[in-house]
Amino acid sequence: MGAPIETFYQVIRRQGISRRSFVKFCSLTAASLGLGANGAATVANALETKPRVPVIWMHGLECTCCSESFIRSAHPLVKDVVLSMISLDYDDTIMAAAGHQADAILQETREKHKGGYILAVEGNPPLNEDGMYCIDGGRPFVEKLKEMAADSMAVIAWGACASWGCVQAAKPNPTHAVPIDKVIRDKPIIKVPGCPPIAEVMTGVVGYVVTFGKLPELDRQGRPKMFYSQRIHDKCYRRPHFDAGQFVEAWDDDGARKGYCLYKMGCKGPTTYNACSTTRWNDGVSFPIQSGHGCIGCSEDAFWDKGSFYDRLTNISAFGVEANADTIGIAAAGAVAAGLAVHAGVTAVRRLTGHDENTPPRG
Amino acid sequence: MTRLVVGPFNRVEGDLELTLDVADGVVAEARVTAPLFRGFEQILKGRPARDALVIAPRICGICSLSQSMAAAAVLRAAQEITPSPTGLLAADLAHAAENVADHLSHFYLFFMPDFCRAEYAAAPWHEAVAARFRAVTGSATEKFLPARTNLLHVVGILAGKWPHSLAVRPGGTTRAIDLGEKMRLLSAIAELRGFLERELFAAPLEAIAELSDPAALELLSENAGDFAAFLRLARSQGLYRLGVGQTPLTSAGAYRDTDPERPLFSAGLFDPTTSETHDVSFDAMTEDTASAWLSAPPVHPSAGETRPDTEKPAAYSWAKAPRLAGRPVEVGAVARQAVDGCPLVRALIARDGGTSVASRVIARLVETARVTLAMERWARALDLSAPFCVADVPERDGPVAGLVEAARGTLGHWVTIRDGTIARYQIVAPTTWNFSPRDAAGIPGPLEQTLVGTPVGDLGARAPAIQHVVRSFDPCMVCTAH
Repeated sequence: MGAPIETFYQVIRRQGISRRSFVKFCSLTAASLGLGANGAATVANALETKPRVPVIWMHGLECTCCSESFIRSAHPLVKDVVLSMISLDYDDTIMAAAGHQADAILQETREKHKGGYILAVEGNPPLNEDGMYCIDGGRPFVEKLKEMAADSMAVIAWGACASWGCVQAAKPNPTHAVPIDKVIRDKPIIKVPGCPPIAEVMTGVVGYVVTFGKLPELDRQGRPKMFYSQRIHDKCYRRPHFDAGQFVEAWDDDGARKGYCLYKMGCKGPTTYNACSTTRWNDGVSFPIQSGHGCIGCSEDAFWDKGSFYDRLTNISAFGVEANADTIGIAAAGAVAAGLAVHAGVTAVRRLTGHDENTPPRG
Repeated sequence: MTRLVVGPFNRVEGDLELTLDVADGVVAEARVTAPLFRGFEQILKGRPARDALVIAPRICGICSLSQSMAAAAVLRAAQEITPSPTGLLAADLAHAAENVADHLSHFYLFFMPDFCRAEYAAAPWHEAVAARFRAVTGSATEKFLPARTNLLHVVGILAGKWPHSLAVRPGGTTRAIDLGEKMRLLSAIAELRGFLERELFAAPLEAIAELSDPAALELLSENAGDFAAFLRLARSQGLYRLGVGQTPLTSAGAYRDTDPERPLFSAGLFDPTTSETHDVSFDAMTEDTASAWLSAPPVHPSAGETRPDTEKPAAYSWAKAPRLAGRPVEVGAVARQAVDGCPLVRALIARDGGTSVASRVIARLVETARVTLAMERWARALDLSAPFCVADVPERDGPVAGLVEAARGTLGHWVTIRDGTIARYQIVAPTTWNFSPRDAAGIPGPLEQTLVGTPVGDLGARAPAIQHVVRSFDPCMVCTAH
């Protein structure tokens, strides 16, 4: 073992971030994690006393949208602090080193922090043709991924690619791209789905892991409960219009200008667990539904192969929050107990059909 | 002769590998490998045509709105509808915001950090440049990132979320903004202007847009600001003679502007060796797979196929080689500005005998000034009482094309639709043009040509000149082979 690992607080002080900013960051993190009144002090204490947890960020078959979302995260302070927090001991897209020097850093971090680092994975490994569809530094990404995962403490699966497969795994899945839990089987994996995930969700997850040195509470699908326990639909600002049977019928029609519900335009908000309708995007400016377009359900497994993105959902429940991420997880696992959902779905269809005949006057 | 393998590259979108044959300390031959393939063209086949608006943008997390714009252009052609002018303006404004954000990210986050490397420690400019541009911790980062946030607000207000926005449609955009949002657009663009005029140019945008010759550029290089710092460094490091490109330059024409008759930047083909401009027809292009792990004859993308062939001995990349009338072509800001007639960019090309590392960077920043000025005009011109979108109609059967200018150059989608379903989808992205491998005639792609002659010295794969030449194109590797 070399010199003792610095605390996170020492690192950011060395980088010129003030105590005042640090305290502010602790409050923001505590708030985003829902830690309550003493949260800021808890976060501050952890960051001042615990050695910084190194994070290694790897890229597989991907479009880099997760990184793009992350480095554009809303609050400049959060972004700065989180960047230095994880200091991205290895990140292909933004780090300074190049080529084999970068590979050397990867190996060095792996050996120095054996069993103590977090591996954050963006993208996924393709298995066809011995991994030839994603070669990184002369070797198939899948080999590098397994190797780095073997010595990690835990793994973060960023985005729909690493969590579920995403569009490159869509039929016919030419490269046999698979989510990372198909090749990493012996490490705790936290899934942070979305295409990409919301920046604040990403910083919140990293913040939690690095602050407390453990994973936050996960649901049955491996997602952090604090961000994925509610449906877009449950917190959607257009929800009253759904309940009132007021729907957009065509892009930018009169109903659209009045902010009516986008269900008939194919919105997948009722079956999608994510924080878009509360946290929103790009500094809280907007989110897809606010832009007049339905949710495509990009944080859900197999969102890419469930029929057209503009088809209406036929299996939603109209009232309240009857199902949560856990029951959906059970259903996915095969233990189907769908009586309630089917019943509610029929009710919803009847309601919506009824309103079809009474569309609000236009013009 | 020594053979060097350079890669993985970071600070580029996706993965990239170079194989360089070096003789007497300079590059004698270069081969560019795009080592990542996902098969979007196969995945899109058989899906409902409009689903391309969701799938195609996911090719790329940094130019996703450009992919949306191309997919929407395809559907617009197939639906034969007249879109809402206001919706088109809103879409252009969001697209411009993405493109400007890309130009600035390239300069501040991807390109300049290479000059902070220890190899340059002896240079007189090094200390100041390193303090300003060092990756992650340089002082420019904290000024630049909030400025870029303004651009994301513009996209957010008009198109919901970024990346992978959904609001762009064949008929316009799905979001009619209100007066308050229009004011927020104007104020975000004003803040961007503030950053550009204070930190980047230390001069009014109008003055940058009007720069006409290298002498004016020399004068400007004595200014404060990051642009001037780059100009001084470019002069002392010889970046005008590095990575010289002599292939034709092309642009499909960018942004409709407020006058529907004339785009903001015109379409055409510019020959850097003769300074002549010609009309461009993309009907005369082919995609060649001689050096790609793909099997298909060299045909126009409207007849193209994507069939992986991993056993091919001569292949070294997943990228096809697009050729226009049989020739490789350079695309990007330098091509757009040369084609459009920007006097400064044309003068630099004429003086340096082609495009160069320096002129690619300069063109990108001059374009940033010109586009920001246009964004102010467009935001003011948005007519809030007009429709933002006209309804979709069924797509007619047959082949259609959608061409747009992404930040990094010409992006085209060639699609055949049958019964509302995608029968063929072929994509040619900017970096497919710039980083294409050799074709069947053995002609190297633009980057492969410009790397020849690059000094490597004793540093081998670590030579900074290689990094400068490669990054001067602002590669987007995830788009390249898709």
